[in-house]
Amino acid sequence: MEFVTTGYSGYSVKYSPFVNDRLAVATSANFGLVGNGRLYILGLTAHGIVLAKQYDTQDAIYDTAWSELNENQVVAGCGDGSVKLFDLTTGNNSPVQNWREHAREVYATSWNLVTKDTIATSSWDGTIKLWSPERPSSLLTLPTHSCTYSAAFSPHSPSIISSATSDSHIRVFDLRTPASASNHLVQLIPIHGAAPVPGSTFVANRPPPTQPAEALTHDWNKYRDTVIAVAGVDTVIRTFDLRNPRQPMVQLRGHEYAVRRLAWSPHVSDCLISGSYDMSVKLWTDGTVAGSYGAHPNLRSPRELGSMEAHTEFACGVDWCLFGAEGWVASTSWDSRVLVWDVRSVMRPHSYSQN
Amino acid sequence: MSAAQNRLTQVSGHLAGSKSTIAATKGDSSSARANLLQKNPDDVVVTACLRTAFTKGGKGGFKDTAAADLLAGAFKSLIERSKIDPALVEDIAVGSVLPPGGGATEFRAAALVAGFPVSAAVKSLNRQCSSGLQACVDIANAISTGMIEVGVGAGVESMSLQYGPGAVTEFSELLESHPESRNCKVPMGVLSEKMAKDRGVSRKLQDEFAASSYQKAIKAQEAGLFDEEIAPLTVKWEDPKTGDVKEITVSKDDGVRPGITAESLGKIKPAFAKDGSIHAGNASQISDGAAAVLLMKRSTAERLGQTILGKYVAASVVGVAPLLMGIGPWAAIPKVFAKAGINKDDVDIFEINEAFASQCVWCANELGLDQKKINPKGGAIAFGHPLGCTGARQVSTLLYELRRRGEKVGVTSMCVGTGMGMAAVWVAE
Repeated sequence: MEFVTTGYSGYSVKYSPFVNDRLAVATSANFGLVGNGRLYILGLTAHGIVLAKQYDTQDAIYDTAWSELNENQVVAGCGDGSVKLFDLTTGNNSPVQNWREHAREVYATSWNLVTKDTIATSSWDGTIKLWSPERPSSLLTLPTHSCTYSAAFSPHSPSIISSATSDSHIRVFDLRTPASASNHLVQLIPIHGAAPVPGSTFVANRPPPTQPAEALTHDWNKYRDTVIAVAGVDTVIRTFDLRNPRQPMVQLRGHEYAVRRLAWSPHVSDCLISGSYDMSVKLWTDGTVAGSYGAHPNLRSPRELGSMEAHTEFACGVDWCLFGAEGWVASTSWDSRVLVWDVRSVMRPHSYSQN
Repeated sequence: MSAAQNRLTQVSGHLAGSKSTIAATKGDSSSARANLLQKNPDDVVVTACLRTAFTKGGKGGFKDTAAADLLAGAFKSLIERSKIDPALVEDIAVGSVLPPGGGATEFRAAALVAGFPVSAAVKSLNRQCSSGLQACVDIANAISTGMIEVGVGAGVESMSLQYGPGAVTEFSELLESHPESRNCKVPMGVLSEKMAKDRGVSRKLQDEFAASSYQKAIKAQEAGLFDEEIAPLTVKWEDPKTGDVKEITVSKDDGVRPGITAESLGKIKPAFAKDGSIHAGNASQISDGAAAVLLMKRSTAERLGQTILGKYVAASVVGVAPLLMGIGPWAAIPKVFAKAGINKDDVDIFEINEAFASQCVWCANELGLDQKKINPKGGAIAFGHPLGCTGARQVSTLLYELRRRGEKVGVTSMCVGTGMGMAAVWVAE
């Protein structure tokens, strides 16, 4: 199924956590470089994808997240640094909250999956901010001192927030720790370069500046609460276990250009999809579950399971459907298209044969 | 820089970081070249570059002019020509080899007298014959890391007034005890003679290369091809015959001479060994001169309305055996190619300093460079090599010639005494 966001390049797509037929798509005019943004709310019907609602903004929209509490609310992160909360039930197009605190482009939005009452956003201004839908200003600011392309709540704990930044680190913040000079930072994991020295977690171990190392995206595994996948400019997807982050558990190679977004499957613990500047959306297993998706029961190796090549521009947004059959995903791209498809349609025969 | 430009740079960064097609692959260097020609707001660009004329050591137009005065003249012309507000210049690096104390004190004074305010910092540095290039590279690096926004890389040398045995301190017993260490003080002529013999660079080959340098230079001078890079300077000059001191304006390299052929050079007696091949005609001339280059980010240049002449891309420095210092460019050029992701076919002009015809021609042949691309307006053999100035001089010589021909990519390089080499890639715009 396909929907065309004419004149607007897709940056992010998210399935509603409440119903299986609703999508939010963050898009921007002129490839997000200059001009307006538009948030599409789309319905999936027997007759294809239909437009339910759209919200126009002054500047590009780079990411969106559905409320976990109110099925009609959705938040958008904008190029001008604003974070806007829209309510589908209000008659007009203006947001119910319009927070203006970030100094630069907001590139990630994440809704707390456990307590469901807070939102995290991250920005090129080097901060992560926490918001409550009820409050007019942010609850907390967490500095990363680095352009922060990605921020996410742990799906397992209401107080743990992680980020992926241009300085090639995963940061993990735990809000249960007392407020101190470390700003709740509990782990700083170098994605490239040497492992942290135990006991001195806060000395940044930067890779050489010539090495392409910016991290652009990361996601928490939905089943194993210590596993994070991260990827970025160097094209490799890595998984880390927070209990022993000295080196990646798995390195998945196959994308030809930077990986822009990845998402773990909500249905099976070893699978994730990734969208890349190489225009493909790829499906991977980290090899931790034998025989998933019908692979040979004895074949346990981290590898690419399939690749969807229908996009004709940078694939920037991917998301899994939480409901129904296990393989439904949505992807969006700078080619102004939103595609809804089943990952099983692109899987290679040998990995599918036993299903 | 506008928000859109910022975003574009950021996204291009995501792409350029991937090691796929962006990096030069064999047979696909043209994409690397295309990549090199891209204009990004954070490029370090040259918005003005110039030099004084080069004049013969001991008898030329600048024989009575102190190095700092030459430098002040170059600075003044740079400010006039670029129309830059001197208060915006945050740092000035000056390469110079011979002055006692590195010239640190008098160069700071020269900047002040030329019109830079006290807020413009000045340093002097010495990496022998590559000092002028090192100065430009230091400033470019300081700009790209954000330490400064606008800077000047420069070089100066008065070989008339400061060349001599005093330039090197006596070696201690410790230094003398180590063979490679001891080699650092072997005079350039002597070691180049030995290298020419070892590497089989014949006298004939050297004389032909030297003669072509003279011929190219005189042709370029007659066609006025140096006029853009040379800023005329008025100085006091003492007539050696009458002792009268008069004011003269120097605007031409006086080392360039007509009528020099490989045959005429063939008659000169070798200078360093009876059976040798190196002589005054196929080695660089001893000269006086100064050069300066104004550098800043492209975004700054656009904001200030400065004319962009070209951009700095990358530089390399290498060490080689002290006795083989002449092979420096041969080692440094491939290294800078790797950094810029290009190969020799992507380059339109090479400015390789002609310290000695022997080493320059050896490096060029060994690297397989096209003779037509090397020093198209002649080089140090024809118009001189004021040591610390040369690296900064090459930037002007290169960029104006690339622009005149409508070509793009250039390399400057030189060998460095005590066994080093440097090279840099520039793009004209």
